[in-house]
Amino acid sequence: MKRQGRRVNSGSLISTKVLVLIPIAVGINLLGGTLCSTLKLPLFLDMIGTILVACLSGPWMAGLCGLLTNLFLSVVANPIYLPYAFVSFLCGVVTGYLVKMGLFKSKLGVVIIWLTCSLVNTIAASLITVYVYGGASGVNSTSLATIALLATTKKIFLSVMSTAMIENLLDKAIVFIIAYTIINKIPSHFLNQYSPNLRSDR
Amino acid sequence: MTDNWVRRLNPKTKLLMIPVFGIATIVSPGMLLGLFLLLVVIVMAWQANIIKKFLQTMISFGIPIAVMLFIIQGLYSPQNHTYVANLGFAKLGLEGLMYGGKLLVTLLVFMGSFYLFNKTIYSGELAAALIKSSLSDKGGYLILASLNVVPQMKRQLQVIKEAQEARGVQTGGSLLTRIKVFIPLMGPVILSSLIDTQERGMALELRGFDLKNVSKTSYIQVVDTKLDKLFRIGMLLFLIIVTAFSIYLKVRR
Amino acid sequence: MKVSSKDVISVNNFSFSYPQTKKPAISSMNFTVKEGEFFCIVGANGAGKSTLCDSLVGLIPQYFLGTTKGQVLVNGQETTKQTVAELSLEIGLVFQNPFNQLSYTTSTVAEELAYGLGNHGIPRSEMLDRVAAVAKKMRIESLLDRDPLTLSGGQIQRVAFGSTYILNPSILVLDECTTQLDPIGSEEIFTIIKQLNDEGVTVVMTDTETERLSMYADRILLLDNGLQMGVDKPQAIFAREDLEKLNISTPLNYQLTQELTKIGILDSPEFNQDIILEKIKEVENGYR
Ligand SMILES: Nc1ncnc2c1ncn2[C@@H]1O[C@H](COP(=O)(O)OP(=O)(O)OP(=O)(O)O)[C@@H](O)[C@H]1O
Ligand SMILES: [Mg+2]
Repeated sequence: MKRQGRRVNSGSLISTKVLVLIPIAVGINLLGGTLCSTLKLPLFLDMIGTILVACLSGPWMAGLCGLLTNLFLSVVANPIYLPYAFVSFLCGVVTGYLVKMGLFKSKLGVVIIWLTCSLVNTIAASLITVYVYGGASGVNSTSLATIALLATTKKIFLSVMSTAMIENLLDKAIVFIIAYTIINKIPSHFLNQYSPNLRSDR
Repeated sequence: MTDNWVRRLNPKTKLLMIPVFGIATIVSPGMLLGLFLLLVVIVMAWQANIIKKFLQTMISFGIPIAVMLFIIQGLYSPQNHTYVANLGFAKLGLEGLMYGGKLLVTLLVFMGSFYLFNKTIYSGELAAALIKSSLSDKGGYLILASLNVVPQMKRQLQVIKEAQEARGVQTGGSLLTRIKVFIPLMGPVILSSLIDTQERGMALELRGFDLKNVSKTSYIQVVDTKLDKLFRIGMLLFLIIVTAFSIYLKVRR
Repeated sequence: MKVSSKDVISVNNFSFSYPQTKKPAISSMNFTVKEGEFFCIVGANGAGKSTLCDSLVGLIPQYFLGTTKGQVLVNGQETTKQTVAELSLEIGLVFQNPFNQLSYTTSTVAEELAYGLGNHGIPRSEMLDRVAAVAKKMRIESLLDRDPLTLSGGQIQRVAFGSTYILNPSILVLDECTTQLDPIGSEEIFTIIKQLNDEGVTVVMTDTETERLSMYADRILLLDNGLQMGVDKPQAIFAREDLEKLNISTPLNYQLTQELTKIGILDSPEFNQDIILEKIKEVENGYR
């Protein structure tokens, strides 16, 4: 039988080049995440890597990256993070699609991604907090704010959501600023091996 | 690592325990089955000689959640109709308490079996088991590489931090100053690790990572005993029976 | 030296450009490497050494995006006819940063060495034998149970080297594989490379630093700005006038011979240790 010339990447579902990004991105996420949990900050900062993957290899890889991040956060930091894996997955996919639409090229676009992502995150995370944890996933400032709101409004979902929204807007703002800065510092050497939709100058 | 039967179980068996126990707890009515499964996990943790750490983790995880559930569900659940106590500012409802209790047990079963899995496997063994079970070795790669990457990045961060300190940059101090120092620290680490991935991918390709139509082998031997297979089949049967029985109870009511 | 006349690598009019760049990173490369040869590629930073190495092992054009012209043959077969993994059984690559060559999926050096074998489906019993043999060759027997990530740079480079060599390639491509190591670490690697070459392994090696290459190389390819400036014996390459212009340092021993030639002690600037010693002795005797 004659051996046909073939390309290594063509046959596989995920090319190695894309695959190796994911552990690094998960590592970046974990670094931010564990940092926040050790410093007891009311933030997560566990999405920088996911955004980078969203830019370099698209929505589904970003989703996978988010999913894995929470899986590991629950191993290394706190098992509470496990159910929120779904939220991280969703945020990765949404960010990926918005990047694909070319929104990462301009600052205004990034603002739109930031707002969308915060909103998606808030709704999905609140659903998890309410349905998995019955309202609060631990004793921290966020949960206390939720209880305070709950005592006055008597509406669980609304209370959970309003505290989550504020937290998320702040968290995602920091995360997107960092990711945007990094993306613009990546040498074109590296970028030209992927098919990103990132810089307006080309 | 001490040797005992829990540790010797195939990683796949312990992995399967997590969804089976968790789902069985969710679908079964009330929390009795959940409590029983929790007991099973505790006994296994005891047998695996990790009982002290196990209980510590479970308690530090469970108590805050129990407190929050007590307040949020017990006092403010819209389902509350039967009140068992009046605390003055709010009334304690039975329905909310039951709901909160079930939730707590479910969470503990999930987290407990997850913790057990996590602490009684050797990570290389998991990859080998996954590769053997033809469950994508790429999945095995993602899991192991992610776990291995963090310590390395932390080391890089430490190196940069020490360099900064040597140049007189303040890295201690209050929370805010620490954050202010930390964020610019992370930039270079992130960038360099990202660029490193290119060579890592090359190395993997060169070492046959992407080879197809080859049944891959592993240096680590994973034992998959008859007992393991029996356990796994047993767990699946158990889940089916519990689910069927719960549906039957629901329908009859 | 047992250099045979058989060509194991032949590069025919080969060019490669990375995406979105105007100028090719390497262009019109034409050379062959003989079986058993110690072949060196010398060039300044950015000259295209890594690009050339990646082309030899098939990563270009299979892994890197970009456009190619011409062909590279390894053992008579075009590199595009096989996957990079299959090709690595014939030609192995070790690169500069040893950390990037680890698989990141293993927790002991022994597993790390065996990783490539596992991917090729080598049975475990054979795997154990080959791990033991390679560990001996790379002098890392005492490290087999250690976690690779806790080793020193020189140790990791030997592990990386071992995990390439364990696939039994008859050609090794070494891309600045000692640049990041301390002097002791790089000395250890050089000793191993030399030993493998003496055993008949063809070696293709790049470096920016020429001192040591000049002692081992059978032939040197001079690279500048993506262009092949010449392939020749070290004596001829280091006698060139344009080296300084190409940002390549002349090794001390060649500087020495050149100086000795200038003052008339040597007849030609060809480096030959025996002749130099002889001449110096003559001069010494003359003074007495
Ligand atoms: N992915 C890439 N995209 C675009 N240009 C690239 C890429 N990789 C390398 N180059 C360019 O190709 C040329 C050759 O690079 P190469 O890395 O092969 O040089 P080198 O001789 O190995 O350098 P060094 O000594 O720094 O390792 C350089 O001009 C470099 O900037
Ligand atoms: Mg190079």
